[in-house]
Amino acid sequence: MTRARAVALAAVAIGFAGLAAWRGLPWGDEREIRATLESLAEGFNASTSDGLGTLARAAQLGSYFSDNVIVDLGPGSAAIEGRERLIGMAARLQPRTAAYRVVLDDISVETPGAQGTADVTLTVSFIRRDPATDEESTDAREFALQMIKGGGRWRIERATAIDTFRK
Amino acid sequence: MSLTRRLVFGSNPRRTIVRIAVLAAVSFVTFSWILIPMRADGASMQPTYESGSFHLVNRLAFTLHSPTRGDVIGIRLAGPHVLYVKRIIALPGERFEIVDGEVRINGSRLDEPYVQQRIPWNVPAVTLTSREYYVIGDNRGMPARDHSFGRIDASRIVGKVIF
Repeated sequence: MTRARAVALAAVAIGFAGLAAWRGLPWGDEREIRATLESLAEGFNASTSDGLGTLARAAQLGSYFSDNVIVDLGPGSAAIEGRERLIGMAARLQPRTAAYRVVLDDISVETPGAQGTADVTLTVSFIRRDPATDEESTDAREFALQMIKGGGRWRIERATAIDTFRK
Repeated sequence: MSLTRRLVFGSNPRRTIVRIAVLAAVSFVTFSWILIPMRADGASMQPTYESGSFHLVNRLAFTLHSPTRGDVIGIRLAGPHVLYVKRIIALPGERFEIVDGEVRINGSRLDEPYVQQRIPWNVPAVTLTSREYYVIGDNRGMPARDHSFGRIDASRIVGKVIF
């Protein structure tokens, strides 16, 4: 193989790799949505360590949700409707949820149809460390989110837990 | 060429670098798309898989044939990075039920040598559709309410746990 041909092949390979990376990276709305969700998870995980008051923390987390948010956790629990109710519930449950750390995986974003709306699916892992044994246990749930953009910010309009197993 | 350099790069450094690059590329493809490494978490597959043990999920296991009863499979949630690991108990179209801890397929008792402990679960009879499998963990010594199991769609099966 001549040097020129080798250089051309390398250039083509680098070009394909760059194209693949460019297509694989999130841009625009998708990037903003991913950043919003990661920020929400960081806010949830920080709640045990930064000394912010329980209600203030709940209100801060509530700002990631729209006024009329609906959180549907599936059969066996009533849907939570409205941001104020969600904030109140988050504040009441904070002593229990503080033992958990959340990790988001497999975030998939689609922005079909109307401007300023997006459908998101993701896996939320709730990780709990047992203080006695120092062992971690994980409970994972799949969620479908409907998100809307208002005032330059993406917020969760509806969150629905998806059951992997049907009885 | 110094001895150290020769030990690191071999007698032909260019060939060694190409070999390393090929090995890295093959490893990346293999462990990203074909054999997914995973760590078991939880007690639902005991005693077959202990919590904290490492395994591989073969994503190509079901390209030539469908999953069969007894296969231990990875089941995706929103994607392949977090998986449930369960055993296939009933196949599409079959009638499944558990009576006093005993699994029945189309009315016949299923022999389950992998189950070491058993408490008397009861699950009402259900007939699977042509795209559904019934999956349960091997640990039947825990209460059914604490154990995630049930019918799954075939599209959720990521691959077979092989190690």
